[in-house]
Amino acid sequence: MLLVAAVSVAGLGAPIRIGICKIVEHPALDANERGVIDALTAAGYVEGKDVEYFLASAQGDPNNAIPIAQDFQAKGVALVVAISTPMALAAVEVFQKTDVPVVFSAVTDPVAAGLVLDDDDPSQNGIVTGVSDLIDVAGDLALLKELSSAIGRVGMVYNPGEANSARLTAIAEAAAPGLGLSIVKAVADTSANVPAAAQSLVGRVDAFYVTTDNTVVSAIDAVVAAAEEGSVPFLMADPTSLRFGPVVATGFDYYKQGLLAGDIVLQILAGKKPNEIPVTYQTGAEIHLNLDAAARIDLAFPASLIDRATGLFFGGFAWLKSNG
Amino acid sequence: MVSILVHAAEQGFAYGVAALGVFITFRVLRFPDLTVDGSFVTGAAIASSLLTSTGIDPFLALAVAFGAGCVAGAVTGLLHTRLGIADLLAGVLSMIMLYSINLRIMGRPSISLLRVTTLSDLVERALSPLGVAAILVVLGGLTLAVKFALDVFFRTEFGLALRATGDNEAMIVAQGVNTKTMKVFGLAFSNGLVALSGALVAQYSGFADVGMGVGTIVTGLAAVIIGGSLIRSRRIGWMTTSVLVGSLIYRVAVMFALRYGYLVGFQASDLKLVTSLLVIVALVVPTLRERLERKVGSC
Repeated sequence: MLLVAAVSVAGLGAPIRIGICKIVEHPALDANERGVIDALTAAGYVEGKDVEYFLASAQGDPNNAIPIAQDFQAKGVALVVAISTPMALAAVEVFQKTDVPVVFSAVTDPVAAGLVLDDDDPSQNGIVTGVSDLIDVAGDLALLKELSSAIGRVGMVYNPGEANSARLTAIAEAAAPGLGLSIVKAVADTSANVPAAAQSLVGRVDAFYVTTDNTVVSAIDAVVAAAEEGSVPFLMADPTSLRFGPVVATGFDYYKQGLLAGDIVLQILAGKKPNEIPVTYQTGAEIHLNLDAAARIDLAFPASLIDRATGLFFGGFAWLKSNG
Repeated sequence: MVSILVHAAEQGFAYGVAALGVFITFRVLRFPDLTVDGSFVTGAAIASSLLTSTGIDPFLALAVAFGAGCVAGAVTGLLHTRLGIADLLAGVLSMIMLYSINLRIMGRPSISLLRVTTLSDLVERALSPLGVAAILVVLGGLTLAVKFALDVFFRTEFGLALRATGDNEAMIVAQGVNTKTMKVFGLAFSNGLVALSGALVAQYSGFADVGMGVGTIVTGLAAVIIGGSLIRSRRIGWMTTSVLVGSLIYRVAVMFALRYGYLVGFQASDLKLVTSLLVIVALVVPTLRERLERKVGSC
């Protein structure tokens, strides 16, 4: 059916204009953007012929979000893909009185952010829908417990200034008691403060856990060093950081998330309204294990975990397992 | 094209209020105040929190934001004048403290104003016959009102003493003016305006974000310098006008970078480069013109 839609669209002549904007250049967000475009290309939308993309980045400054959305409006885009919370808020502010759909991606909590009223029932959500990148925090904590039942105190380095990270840390604190864990927090408001925050947890925690916190991810070496100094495992909710030294990395592939956002775009191009499409929550987090890092702290992975892992890192290289 | 210029002008005015605040510290007081990167967010945070939690009148939210900004600026002033902390460091300390305070005020890193009545909503409703220009008219009116109030203030005895504090501190001390009080007042007033601007921008944008203050000092200074290079005058009325002209040019530059950058091969990641290049052009053109005129004149 999607192919039929693509063919019929292709017959119309003028390419559909799609604006894709992101808050900052970042490997995960770049992959997200690529995923959206690849999903459309795979469905038969040829760039330049059927669709025309306008790519924009706020370069890390939320003040650029509104001008970018206004520029999209002036360019006459038929649909906006907004990657990250501030970009989505700005796009909705500019387009809310139009019928131009806004598809968000890489937004952790679209309801709390005020983007949509309800993530399951989209009927009141107007022009907005999209994909949430809310990670499975409870699943990650359970994984730590599976790694070693002796783990009780989990140290989290985070930046309370990042919407996604603040939310995930709160979720972790809520989920921890049920798993027999307690969360010890250390705040780093800039990347420069990550080493001190991580060091402050050495000796006070049995494991480190870092979520999708851009501030902490950019200084990930400091958390790795602190975990190894304390000889405790470090679980990182970002698979792309595995080679930097966490023992376990879980999470969603942002490229796949982009494909999911692209799929929503395809549904809209095929005639569905955003208020008929519920918010998508990505499932099936991948588990990646770093055997080199585990060896450095004398940790042996349980066989059950190795069986479930998507990727392994050892001998200085990443290996993808075929879990046929 | 027209709509893009209207939007750029709206932003020029909204951010122009912050530029006027930066003008007071940098040009009038000659105090390099970095508090503004924090107080801009404080204004946005206070206004957004009040709008979402109490449904306060959007104009009242602006006034409260102004007051909060004044407090922030006064803290920097007191750190400098009473505790003897160097000017630059006093501002940096306030800015850092404000980061935490802003997060406390907001309760989370970004607040959406999509579902509350903001200034933009009021204006669109009240001035619907004006169409796309409605918000521009109100933002322009508010900002010009601030500008003219500043002009009047700087001609009063107190205002003149404030200007003299920056121009010739020894002279004004000899006149029996307490320059410490003057500095605290100037910093409070300046940051009040910056916070007011933050509250305006948040209501205009439909959201407040804890990261929106980063670079307030840079864009504020850009406006002051661009305007100052285009309109060279020592008269206060022209000086404040030049700041707003500078702010408008800066926002037009951002819009042009977004709108036409890709036509000449610039990518999304070149935005800041293009904006800065356009600002450089705005700075250099008047100087070049002047040189050219001199050459022609000498021939």
